Amino acid sequence: MAREQPNVGDLLPLLETSDLHQLEEIRGVINEHLSTERGSMLLNGLVDYFLETNSAQAMHILSSVREPHDKHLLDKMNECMTKQACRLPTLTLLGHVIRKQPSWIHKIARYPLLLSLLKCLKTDTDVVVLITGVLVLITLLPMIPQAGKQHLWEYFDIFGRLASWNLKNPGHISEVYLIHLHASVYSLFHRLYGMYPCNFVSYLRSHYSMKENMETFEEVVKPMLEHVRIHPELVTGTKDHELDPTRWKKYEIHDIVIECAKVSLDPKEASCEEGYATMPENFYPQIHLRPQDCTSSPYTDLHSSYGQKTLHTYQGCSIIEKKILIMIVLVNTEIMIIQYHDSLSFGTMLQLLNPSSLCGMATPPSSRGMSPNLELSHSASHLSSRFHCTSGQPLHCYNIFQPGCRCTVVQHTFRFKIHHNCPYVVSAAAAITEELLKITEEQLELSGLRGFDSPFYHTTETLTGCQAQDKTLSNTQPGGPVRDPHHVVSTPDKGETTASTSDRGVAGDGRSSALGLEQSWSFQSGFTPIDHHLHRSPSAPDDESFFDLALPRAASLFVGQKTSEAVHKDGEEEGVASASPLEVLDRLVQQGSDTHDKVLKRLPLPSKSADWTHFGGSAPLDELHTLRSQLLLMHNQLLYERYKREQHAVRNRRLLRRIINATALEEQNNAMKDQLNLQSVDIVSLRESLQVEQQRYRQLWDDRETVVTRLHSQIRQLQQGRDDYYTKNQELQKRMDELEAELQRANNKVCHTGHLLNQMAIKLSNSESTQQQMSFLNKQLLLLGEAHKLSTQELHHTGADNAKEAQMLKLSYGKEVEMLRQSLLVQGQKLEAAQQRVAELETHLSKKEHLIAEQKKFLEDVKCQAKAELQASDSRYQAQRRITQLLQTELLQLYSRVEMEAPANGQSQLHTDVEVDSRLPPHDSPRGNGSTLSPRQPKGSNSSKKTTANSINGSQDLAPPLLVEPSLSCPYGNSLAPLPASDAPLTVGSYPSAKSFLGMRARELFRNKSESQCDEDQPQTRLAGLAHGLKTELCVEPPYPGYIGIVCPAPSPVSTPLPAPAPAPAHATPLTVPTKEPPSEPKQRASSQESPRRKAGSGGGRGQASSGRPRQQQQLKIMDYNETHHEHS
Amino acid sequence: MADDPQRNFRSAYYEKVGFRGVEEKKSLEILLKDNPLDLEKLSTFSQRFPLPSMYRIHVWKVLLGVLPPHSDSHALVAGYRKEQYQDILEALEVMRYTNASTPSTHVYLRMFQLENQVLPRCSETSTPDEENEDFLSISRAMEEIVDDPVDCYWLIKSFVNQFHTKFGDSVPHLPKSLEHYLSQEEPRLLNHLKSCGALAQLPYSIWFRRCFAGCLPESSLQRVWDKVISGSCKILVFVALEILLSYKIMLMGITRPGGVVRFLCNIPQENTDAIVTKAIDSWHKYCGTPMHAV
Repeated sequence: MAREQPNVGDLLPLLETSDLHQLEEIRGVINEHLSTERGSMLLNGLVDYFLETNSAQAMHILSSVREPHDKHLLDKMNECMTKQACRLPTLTLLGHVIRKQPSWIHKIARYPLLLSLLKCLKTDTDVVVLITGVLVLITLLPMIPQAGKQHLWEYFDIFGRLASWNLKNPGHISEVYLIHLHASVYSLFHRLYGMYPCNFVSYLRSHYSMKENMETFEEVVKPMLEHVRIHPELVTGTKDHELDPTRWKKYEIHDIVIECAKVSLDPKEASCEEGYATMPENFYPQIHLRPQDCTSSPYTDLHSSYGQKTLHTYQGCSIIEKKILIMIVLVNTEIMIIQYHDSLSFGTMLQLLNPSSLCGMATPPSSRGMSPNLELSHSASHLSSRFHCTSGQPLHCYNIFQPGCRCTVVQHTFRFKIHHNCPYVVSAAAAITEELLKITEEQLELSGLRGFDSPFYHTTETLTGCQAQDKTLSNTQPGGPVRDPHHVVSTPDKGETTASTSDRGVAGDGRSSALGLEQSWSFQSGFTPIDHHLHRSPSAPDDESFFDLALPRAASLFVGQKTSEAVHKDGEEEGVASASPLEVLDRLVQQGSDTHDKVLKRLPLPSKSADWTHFGGSAPLDELHTLRSQLLLMHNQLLYERYKREQHAVRNRRLLRRIINATALEEQNNAMKDQLNLQSVDIVSLRESLQVEQQRYRQLWDDRETVVTRLHSQIRQLQQGRDDYYTKNQELQKRMDELEAELQRANNKVCHTGHLLNQMAIKLSNSESTQQQMSFLNKQLLLLGEAHKLSTQELHHTGADNAKEAQMLKLSYGKEVEMLRQSLLVQGQKLEAAQQRVAELETHLSKKEHLIAEQKKFLEDVKCQAKAELQASDSRYQAQRRITQLLQTELLQLYSRVEMEAPANGQSQLHTDVEVDSRLPPHDSPRGNGSTLSPRQPKGSNSSKKTTANSINGSQDLAPPLLVEPSLSCPYGNSLAPLPASDAPLTVGSYPSAKSFLGMRARELFRNKSESQCDEDQPQTRLAGLAHGLKTELCVEPPYPGYIGIVCPAPSPVSTPLPAPAPAPAHATPLTVPTKEPPSEPKQRASSQESPRRKAGSGGGRGQASSGRPRQQQQLKIMDYNETHHEHS
Repeated sequence: MADDPQRNFRSAYYEKVGFRGVEEKKSLEILLKDNPLDLEKLSTFSQRFPLPSMYRIHVWKVLLGVLPPHSDSHALVAGYRKEQYQDILEALEVMRYTNASTPSTHVYLRMFQLENQVLPRCSETSTPDEENEDFLSISRAMEEIVDDPVDCYWLIKSFVNQFHTKFGDSVPHLPKSLEHYLSQEEPRLLNHLKSCGALAQLPYSIWFRRCFAGCLPESSLQRVWDKVISGSCKILVFVALEILLSYKIMLMGITRPGGVVRFLCNIPQENTDAIVTKAIDSWHKYCGTPMHAV
């Protein structure tokens, strides 16, 4: 590989190698290089190489070039187009490339190549180039329909130019070229008319309305127009619309081709599709007849003229040449057969090839007359569709020449074999080609030996030769030549049958969609038997079974099966299938020309010249050139037709797809129909069951109804009975009530009578008793009467005085009673009043009591207040007392000091007075007064002693003076003392002050409480007093003993009635009093009074005043109590 | 009190949230409007809440019996009290126990002695003994609190009397209860005091006999006395306890009993308010908040 890398261009010559392996390698390298490199170098080299050598390999590589190289390729080709020499190969290459239909082909419209092609077609004068170019253009047109917009008029110009070519340039070119040219122009006409009908027709109108072009129209265009139908677009479309690119979007290439074919009336050009097939019933026979007339169909015309002319022209040629020509024609015809599946043309070709037919036996009647047997088949073919002709016509044709000749038939069969092998059995085709080649060579040799021969003979010979070859071939096959007649006979029959079925189908419904299907199938079936015979051992039952299976779907299955088997078989037979048979054919033609060249070179020049001259032809070189170009043209034509075939194949495949879909749908439809039937059956059964059920239901309903009515009637009866019972019951009840009432009445009567009876019994007893009384009273009456008698007697005796007195008395009594009664009334009223009064008084009393309670509360409150105030004043009093005590002690102290000084300084009271006065501050003079008064104190104390004694005795009157005195004796507290003194009795006196009824009641009510209070107070004060006393005793007593001791020596002055030196007795008395008193007091005093006494006593002279006060208060209180007590008691 | 319609219904919540004393003034005014005054309610109030200073003297006077419960007789009784005071004062002056230069506290002492009949002779006047010193310090404190000398004297007198009569018996047991609470609150301190022998020497006389007079500044002292006057001597224990707890660190640092006593006799005067507050709180805690005897 590496060695090829430096320059791939060097490898190009190696493409021609015979070594397959190496060839593959080189191709791989080149392709790889192309795919990797983007440059145009290699491609240009390839193109150049192709142009030089016309190498098939290079062409192959170039035609399969990929996307990025298309530009280079087209540019290169454009470049080559400019050169006159390279134009033809370039066009050939372009044709190859286009037919390959690469994906980028639509771009070609944008490249200058198209322009140069058009330019070439408009300007070039070389017919070969023109024909090739036109074919290329025709092929290209469906691929670039939208490009027509720009180049439409150029196409038309080309058409115009080429159509008038023959008339414009008469004699310039050979007839052969003209035929080719005409055919290609015809194709172009069809294409343009098919694709752009409006524009084209308008062009034709404008162009051929001119005088100078009229001839061309008459000669060339008019016949062409006879072969086309009116295009629907002419009616519906417009010029602009048909140029609209969107119109072409929905079409594929083959669609366009078929569209163009559709409008054609020419069976060779026209499509067999979509509804047009119904027309040929009458039309085709005409067409069929035309070839015989050699007037109408350009093809027939072409071929006939071509055949005539060629043969005429070639009359002078060597037989070898002719034979080669025949071979080529044969090959071409074969291809035609393949492509059109129309053996008519094939047959015509054969007819044409046959010199005898050319010589005047061109009319069918002559041929018909030759074989009545064939007449039938011929007429049958006339009647049947062209498919019928497929098998029928060739046979007929052959039979024209050699009636009963098996060989021809076999040859024909052979042809068919080739045809049928084409799609499937490549190897077989290749083998046949080889056979042909051999034949050609043999012929060449033969010709060389035999020299002149009639064309007829040669043809026959050729055919026989072929037949011989075929025999050899068929010998190898099962069901060999022995059975050939059978084949021959059977095949058309089958075809006929098939055709007739198809015809019937066509005539029957005429549906376009189904038609294609049917036709295609009939077509297939028409040929399959032959195929079948060739590849398998044919047998009658087999055939029969096949025709039994002639139904579309079954047939498709069958064919599919067969095909696969065939392929399999072929694979076994030949091994590797290397090239397509078409390619092989091309190669064959090429090779044929090559060999021909070789042979030519081998021939001695004189003989050559002699040959040429002998036939009276033109210069041999020129002839050669013509032949070559003719060959080329043929090749081109072949390629063009093949291309069309491919388009058809594509379409066929699509249609097949549709058929399959349609069948599938049909199948589905059938299935659904079946289902529908089933369901309808179901529905029917269900309906039936429904009816049954309804019936049953109705019956049940009726039963129910009857039962219900019965029950209703029963109910009614029962209700009636019940009502009767009710009424009866009511009646009975009424009766019962009546009876009860009666019973009641009876009872009443009974009771009444009983009562009456009782009464009567009572009355009876009463009457009895009264009778007894009566008797008794009677007795009494008797007695009273007697007494009365006696009393009257007495009365009479006594007199009437007493009566008056009694009356008086009675009166007086009555009056008395009256008076008493009145007094009773008055008393009662009084009582009532008194009671009312009592109630009034009671309410009053309760009110009063309430008031009293309030008063009590208030009193309590006031008492509390008073007590608090009293306590305050008491504490003040206490303080006063303390002060006084203190002052007294002070005074005493001072006195003692004075007295102590007095014995020393002389007993002068004056002195002491002076001393005291001098010692005291001047404002103390009142005190001095007080002190002067103090001598009275002992008296007071004495008197107090007395008072106590008196009080013991019960004299209360003395107490107030006693009270006043000590307070008076204390001049200092004078201002204050009287106030509490007067205050105290007042407050205390508030108790007894309320001596009224209320006060008494209050007292009574609160006695207990106040007593308890008092009792509480007493011990409190007593205790306090005791505590004080003890305290004072404890605190004061110690200093006193000495003092007492001092004082004690003077007890005498106490007893002295004189107002002795005051201090001493004053001092002495308090001291002595307690000592004396205790024994005397307990005797006379109550125990309660004892303690204050003692306290006072124990308090000594100092505590005297203090103890005196509470005692007094206590006394007052006690007095109070005593008083109240007294009052109460 | 909570049911009193004149009271703000929110007052209960104020207390709950912690604003104490918001409505106390008002409720106290309501209490004081009664005639006669309910001493029990007053004392309960004073135990429960701190007294507003403007009513403190009045309440004290009522609680101590200087003024009677009946407000009608207040003027009269006040007149009596004043006269009594003047009488005594004059008497003392006359007897030359006092003169113009004598400090009022001594005057009060003399008056008190006079009223209790324990006034020594002029010649025998000696240095005041322990009891007199207690009276003097109390009167010094009271003098600071009360302006009017008459009221002052009466309050001192009533306070001392009430204290002696009411709590005379329980005062000796207070040190024991202090020890008990201390053991509950801070046993370490107790142990320390015990170990260094200071427990027995703590200034009980200042704390429990003088009711912290001279120990605490008057502003704090009057709050303690509110409780004492309203009838609780336990508060003294808690004040002492709080003092000990507050100066715990310092006390723990002192090992000699003399130092402890010295420190406690001269405690710093800064945060005595807080101490008293804490003491009241713990008093409430231990003895329970006194409820109203309605």
